[in-house]
Amino acid sequence: MNDIKFPVSDYMPDSCIPDGPIEQKWTKYKREAKLINPNNRRKYTVLIVGTGLAGGSAAATLAELGYNVKCFCYQDSPRRAHSIAAQGGINAAHNYQNDGDSVYRLFYDTIKGGDFRAREANVYRLAEVSCDIINQCVAQGVPFGREYGGLLDNRSFGGAQLKRTFYSRGQTGQQLLLGCYQAMEKEIGKGHIEMHPRTEMMDLVVVDGHAKGIVVRDLVTGEIKSYAGDTVLLATGGYGRVFFLSTNAMGCNVGAACACWKKGAYFANPCFTQIHPTCIPVKGDYQSKLTLMSESLRNDGRIWVPKSREVAEKIRKGEMKASDVAEGDRDYYLERKYPSFGNLAPRDISSRAAKEACDDERGVAPSGRGVFLDFKDAIKRMGKEWIDGQYGNLFEMYEEITDVDPHKEPMMIYPASHYTMGGLWVDYNLMSSIPGLHVLGEANFSDHGANRLGASALMQGLSDGYFVISATLPNYLTTQKPGSVTTAAPEFKEAEEAVKARIAQIMDVKGTKTPDEIHRELGKLIWEDVGMGRTKESLMHAIEKIPGIRDEFWKNVKVVGSTEGINMELEKAWRLAYFLDFAEVLCYDALNREESCGAHFRLEHQLPDGEAKRDDEHFAYVACWEYKGTGELPVLHKEPLTFDNVHLAIRSYK
Amino acid sequence: MAKLNLTLKVWRQENAQAQGRIETYQAKDIPEECSFLEMLDIVNESLVHEGKEPIHFDHDCREGICGMCSLTINGVPHGGKKVTTCQLHMRQFKDGDTIWIEPFRAKAFPILRDLMVDRSALDKIIASGGFVDVRTGAAPNANNMPVRKKTADAAFDAAACIGCGACVASCKNSSAMLFTSAKAAHLNLLPQGHPEKNKRVLAMVRQMDALGFGNCTNQYECEAACPKGISVDNIAKLNRDYMVACAAEAVAVYS
Amino acid sequence: MNDIITTACKFVTSSIGRKILVALTGSCLLLFLVGHLGGNLTIFGGDGTNPADPSWINAYATGLHTMPTWLLWAIRLGLLVIFLIHVVLTLVLKYENYNARTHYQMEGTLKATLSSRTMVITGVMVFCFLVFHLWQLTFNGDPANCYEHIRAAFTNPWCSLFYIVAICCLFMHVRHGVQSVMQTLGLSTRKIRPLYNIVAILFGIVVCGGFIAIPVAFLTGILQ
Repeated sequence: MNDIKFPVSDYMPDSCIPDGPIEQKWTKYKREAKLINPNNRRKYTVLIVGTGLAGGSAAATLAELGYNVKCFCYQDSPRRAHSIAAQGGINAAHNYQNDGDSVYRLFYDTIKGGDFRAREANVYRLAEVSCDIINQCVAQGVPFGREYGGLLDNRSFGGAQLKRTFYSRGQTGQQLLLGCYQAMEKEIGKGHIEMHPRTEMMDLVVVDGHAKGIVVRDLVTGEIKSYAGDTVLLATGGYGRVFFLSTNAMGCNVGAACACWKKGAYFANPCFTQIHPTCIPVKGDYQSKLTLMSESLRNDGRIWVPKSREVAEKIRKGEMKASDVAEGDRDYYLERKYPSFGNLAPRDISSRAAKEACDDERGVAPSGRGVFLDFKDAIKRMGKEWIDGQYGNLFEMYEEITDVDPHKEPMMIYPASHYTMGGLWVDYNLMSSIPGLHVLGEANFSDHGANRLGASALMQGLSDGYFVISATLPNYLTTQKPGSVTTAAPEFKEAEEAVKARIAQIMDVKGTKTPDEIHRELGKLIWEDVGMGRTKESLMHAIEKIPGIRDEFWKNVKVVGSTEGINMELEKAWRLAYFLDFAEVLCYDALNREESCGAHFRLEHQLPDGEAKRDDEHFAYVACWEYKGTGELPVLHKEPLTFDNVHLAIRSYK
Repeated sequence: MAKLNLTLKVWRQENAQAQGRIETYQAKDIPEECSFLEMLDIVNESLVHEGKEPIHFDHDCREGICGMCSLTINGVPHGGKKVTTCQLHMRQFKDGDTIWIEPFRAKAFPILRDLMVDRSALDKIIASGGFVDVRTGAAPNANNMPVRKKTADAAFDAAACIGCGACVASCKNSSAMLFTSAKAAHLNLLPQGHPEKNKRVLAMVRQMDALGFGNCTNQYECEAACPKGISVDNIAKLNRDYMVACAAEAVAVYS
Repeated sequence: MNDIITTACKFVTSSIGRKILVALTGSCLLLFLVGHLGGNLTIFGGDGTNPADPSWINAYATGLHTMPTWLLWAIRLGLLVIFLIHVVLTLVLKYENYNARTHYQMEGTLKATLSSRTMVITGVMVFCFLVFHLWQLTFNGDPANCYEHIRAAFTNPWCSLFYIVAICCLFMHVRHGVQSVMQTLGLSTRKIRPLYNIVAILFGIVVCGGFIAIPVAFLTGILQ
């Protein structure tokens, strides 16, 4: 096995972090930020791609401010973006519970949860605006959970020792998204936002080094069109579907982000992918997605597998029921390994433990990939009614999907790809390394470091969209003459032609494999080799295999139908092509990061007790990858991370 | 694990202008534990291998929350099991069944292709008044305005609507009253939505009428088909609020 | 004033506004049914010994006709207007509903009652019946001889059968109508709706049962 030597560049764009003490950075920034006269704002056109929490809130806010906003999403309505699926809640440092919360504590918990691989200044700003987010959402009519006194309720969540999570039953993401969708619709009604649903961004248009437009495909007519603007805001979410099976929506894709990467935006920390421990296991090859069961179930469920492989095999074959396994034959492995946190060990740790048990051939799902989550003891202790009060809807959902009543037989769960912390590199202004291209929400890399805490994703998306971008955007826009670039510029024509050529190339293959078949193959490879536990060997294996799958795609994909009108096979193939361009950099980054931190676990780098072994001396940096051509090694740029306000501790959950 | 063999009667229509028709497909060896959409994936995979165009349908999250999936199954939107189509599982069917699959039908939901329809009319109803007009940044502290827990819960029940349009598709009159009333009730119940209550109700109802939806005849088919259990109490409330809003518009100085 | 007229116009052309008008006129017609039934049941009145004592019903009919002509016609006109609003608006709404829909190849129903789905049919049946009924018993004959007219009509089994069928249609109409009125007027909730359903059925049974009792009584010989 040959070592890969990554070309490293000394150049790194300025991250534009304001100086001064951390508590004053954002205030100082806002005080000194450029402003645009209200009458001039409408002269600026802002193109926003994606209408999840980040894109939707940015669209609403910028339209309210008076900018001319054009917004695009691939779904049939901006209300359907996948932010809607977030269940748990959203963090904020309001300290309504009087349990000692503060902006600093939220900042500290978030940066520690991210295993010290995020930028201090960004995370502090996130914690600072967290309260404004809750205020804003409540004013919009988001129905958060309340106490009998009429004030807001909070629940506790993983990685925090206090109650700071605001929630709307198990549908917090939905309610927050509807809040910003309604704010968007308000502006659409007033004519301030031009909304383009069922429209997919195909490529970024860069004019004189600045992002000035996008090429899109109208998914209904199949027409390729261009839109020019003064800046582009990318809020297209994460790349979890690179694993094929994930908790992401079917349409989630890396296309837009990858297109920007290919046009010069740096991709930062792509190896930080979060695997969620409590999902319903894979049932068969036909499976299209994995369903998440709320992490809260681990409060009362006990996770186990049989002690012996023979018993496990009998369960797999259906010859034995879980409830027939004697207490002495069960291995409650999380309780055994992590006596103090037990079943509530963090996401990355419990995910890896499940994988280990299944690798030991003690998995219990028919596929061999599944562990039990048992409520028997909790039901015995607290009664069925109490359990139903806590988890009734989750039990129903589980039974609906699996036809197993979790009151009688334990649930089966297995980890699945859930969220991606990595993303396009952005500076403090949320601007990428391409001037004029701003990246918001999950699509950027900024705030979660190597691991995201529960209830932080919603906070980040809304913070970027409601409060950060509105303050930082004028800094870029004031350097630009409004409307200086139109679609008449030759770059647009070029980009359109390139998109059309790529589509034609895909259509012309006329091979034998459907896009889904190839995507499944890619997903399986990435899941096995770049999933929960990574080794140099597995990564090299993936790096070796990916070009083969990509070749297979370009030589043997079968896309029926035409380029005109709706063609869902073409949509799938187009998105897959970008995943295939992107997959290697994910492996390269994982290979380059010779340490274990947060969700990135290199088996070579662990403490004797199996915990992640961070290497702060060599890897306390953001790895930013510059595209140099498909199949070529990308160039690594390093943004060093400095920590002046927190002590770099070892995460321990024993 | 049991496998099913099914006969599918599927609505096929090339585009909005084309004449649609029912076509028959055999779905073979469908695992009982797969979802309805995964069953269609399997059928589509084999269609593509035969060089035929797959059956087009809308879907996205596949966990019952985004509201993108539709399909009228045996005459009932989402199949009538109180879940979305993506959460409907094949064990609900028997080997040898014939299943009719049609798009969500209503004049206000023009068919785009096969089983995909254009539901943007629902967005237009929201744009007319389904919001609280607050600017970002202007909000007071979240706990400045207490909300009775019961009120907050009722508002949440109404807000749980996923905007899938099953209410319209199931209605014998293609009325959008359940959708409209749920959003109006969500915001009208809360003190935050109170200042715009009358304005909102008038705007949303008038927009709904203008978009060509039918009129509610209190059959409650919508409630039965709704995957999120939205109650027709919201419709009663909208009727009430509408009367008040009209009266206020006609005679009150401050309406 | 202008505002009031504008809003009123918008109200009577809106979906909810017209439904409210249908509900209000429907409730008036329900009240009329109760009054009408009360009058009809006097046919069973009398000294209790004679199964065919015409005195009460004849007195009732004569009483109706002795009220001032202008009042009688005002009431009739009022009823006619209410009736026409009810019928015309429902037909317009039905027409719109028909146009708002595209039909399924395979129709399915989860909850909508038969009575709710046949409102127009039962309504039209009741309308036809009403025309016949007015012709037969209201505008022909002498009020003082009311009992005799009724007897003549109902001893004809075909006529009785027509009445019974029409009243059954009325029952179906009322069964959906009563609870629908409450919903449209915004007086319904999940908790009270089952009660309205029971009230609707009881109301239908009592009123329609009362009306049917008369032809049945003639057919079975209780009244002669």
